[in-house]
Amino acid sequence: MADTDVQERRNLSASATAHRGDRVFNRTITAAAFSALFVLAGIAIFLGAQTIPVLQTQGLSFLTTTAWDINTDPPTAGIWGMLYGSVVLAVVALVIAVPASLMMSIFMVFLAPKRLASMLTNLIDLMAAIPSVILGLWAFYVLNPTAEVWQQLLNQYLGWIPIFQNTSGNFLGTPFIAGFVLAIMMIPIVTSVTREVLSRTPADLVNASEALGCSMWTMLRYVALPYGRGGIVGGIMLGLGRALGETIAVFFVLKIVFDTNWYNIIESGGGSVATLIVSRFGEISGPYELQLLLAAGFFLFIMTLIVNVIANLIVNRTGRLQK
Amino acid sequence: MSTQTLDPSTLPSLAEQRPQRPWRKRTPKFTASVVLAVVVPAIVAGFLWQTSSIPTPVLMVAIYLPLQLVASTLASLATRGRRGIADSVVIVSAIGATVFSLVILLSLLGSLIVRGWKALSPSFLLQNNVYISPSTPLEYGGIGHAVLGTALIVFLASLVAVPIGIATAIYITEVRGRAVPYVRFFVQSMSGVPSVVAGLFILTTLIVTGALTQSALAGGLAYAILMLPTVARTAEEVLRLVPDELRTGALALGSTRARTVFRVVLPAARTGIVTAIILGIARIIGETAPLLLAAGNSDQTILNPTGSPVASLPTYIFNNVALPYPDAVTRAWGAALALMIFVAILFTLARVLSRGRLGR
Repeated sequence: MADTDVQERRNLSASATAHRGDRVFNRTITAAAFSALFVLAGIAIFLGAQTIPVLQTQGLSFLTTTAWDINTDPPTAGIWGMLYGSVVLAVVALVIAVPASLMMSIFMVFLAPKRLASMLTNLIDLMAAIPSVILGLWAFYVLNPTAEVWQQLLNQYLGWIPIFQNTSGNFLGTPFIAGFVLAIMMIPIVTSVTREVLSRTPADLVNASEALGCSMWTMLRYVALPYGRGGIVGGIMLGLGRALGETIAVFFVLKIVFDTNWYNIIESGGGSVATLIVSRFGEISGPYELQLLLAAGFFLFIMTLIVNVIANLIVNRTGRLQK
Repeated sequence: MSTQTLDPSTLPSLAEQRPQRPWRKRTPKFTASVVLAVVVPAIVAGFLWQTSSIPTPVLMVAIYLPLQLVASTLASLATRGRRGIADSVVIVSAIGATVFSLVILLSLLGSLIVRGWKALSPSFLLQNNVYISPSTPLEYGGIGHAVLGTALIVFLASLVAVPIGIATAIYITEVRGRAVPYVRFFVQSMSGVPSVVAGLFILTTLIVTGALTQSALAGGLAYAILMLPTVARTAEEVLRLVPDELRTGALALGSTRARTVFRVVLPAARTGIVTAIILGIARIIGETAPLLLAAGNSDQTILNPTGSPVASLPTYIFNNVALPYPDAVTRAWGAALALMIFVAILFTLARVLSRGRLGR
């Protein structure tokens, strides 16, 4: 938006000498507008308040250990395995979703005919609208058997690479499947941001590079991707934020184990903070465990908030319009 | 916004480039290479598919895709020299990635329809789950209670989130106070709150303290947290499209600002506001985690917003997914199909309403 436009818009805004009814109106609207802040602060304060006693009883080992022994006296609990597991799932999801989304948006912007591209845009938006519980249902019954075969093949032919080791012979409930499901959730988010960013590459630059004899790859490498870099990174981070907080889809396909699965992504068992909360809530043993889950929720909130804030800062700085 | 300029040193020197003649018609060599590159991998893969016992997905990814990549590379090498190689890799992987996403989407929708269709019947949509155990045959019981529960929860969520969301949008586009960038930033950050955290927040502030029990109202409040950012951001975008001439015109006629907003701006953006509400509902309607924590579950049809746990479509699906009874699982697929149909209706409605008004 040009500077004069901003100035004009400012002049249209309410002045200090407003009508009395207008002042009431302005105050009400302003108060409502800050509700987002109130909610964010409320979440931080109320979940934070539950975190303090947990940290007092468990100490920092709540963040660095992985046991979940509630019935011992005193109970010991730690979410390190879950925090680390969330990161593993996010990495698997990123490795699958980022190239897929990037290539898909390149197809939609630079290769596909207009009509096909707009059809794909609609399909991608529809994909984004699929509820995670349906994704989980599909993953449990349709993806699981297929993914099992794939992981067996990976293990058979690439088992010498440490991440593809599997000693248990059980290929279900692995971080790989859960990460794949998260990737399916991320693809529409990342693709829609990336597509928008790439489609804003100035036509002048694209035409100029073609006139200079650039091949398509050269054009992408030196014009389109550098131009959209900020927006693409922001879009990836937005998708990452969603993946870190995803609960239900992961619940169906990941076996939660209170242990640290360092890198065996096709070995059964892993962790996820969000899923821990739902899976333990179903068979909760008492108020202390609830407090532990609330504390876990607090750290999940902080983790996703940081990722989202960084993502939004990047996206806003690159001047993308609000979606 | 910085525009990166082309660094001449990174481009191949003119001497290396062969002159391009885009005006020349495609040579027979070009056509032949393209046809060969498309046909040969397909024939090989088709042959293996017929004769060998390699599973189809493995065949596609492990044999057809690399073969196609190599064939396209060779074809572009033959027609355009070394510089064509990168292009053909980009093109093949771009098409591959698109097909990959489409296959997943189609598999999802396809299995949803095939497996869910068996369960769908008028009685399934109307009856509730009382007296129904997981092993009860499909003819009995249904998701009526869950549909009503979801409707109730979404309605309560809308009561809270729609006014506040629209007010936030009005603050950003109409009041234009000093805090606009901050408000937008908070709304953006709020849209990243994980759904399970929203549920935990309601659980700890309202349910543990005893203000509410697990109920439709508690679930609706958790939903409202997730719905608000979507409504606010879409409504903001829509209000931005209202021409300033309308505002200045109303103000010039002596209207107060509040009247300008309620009598001129909002009516002008009517369809857009409805779209914002619909998108907000579509965003939350399938969220499960907040309801597991805040709304609980029930087998009965419950229309009382407070006092007792209430069923909803997502929790119904959640509870039936992993049961070892085929009929229970079919019920889960049926409920999922019903949920997806609701989402698709909302999605289409939003698209139709926003066509022409909200240029995407």
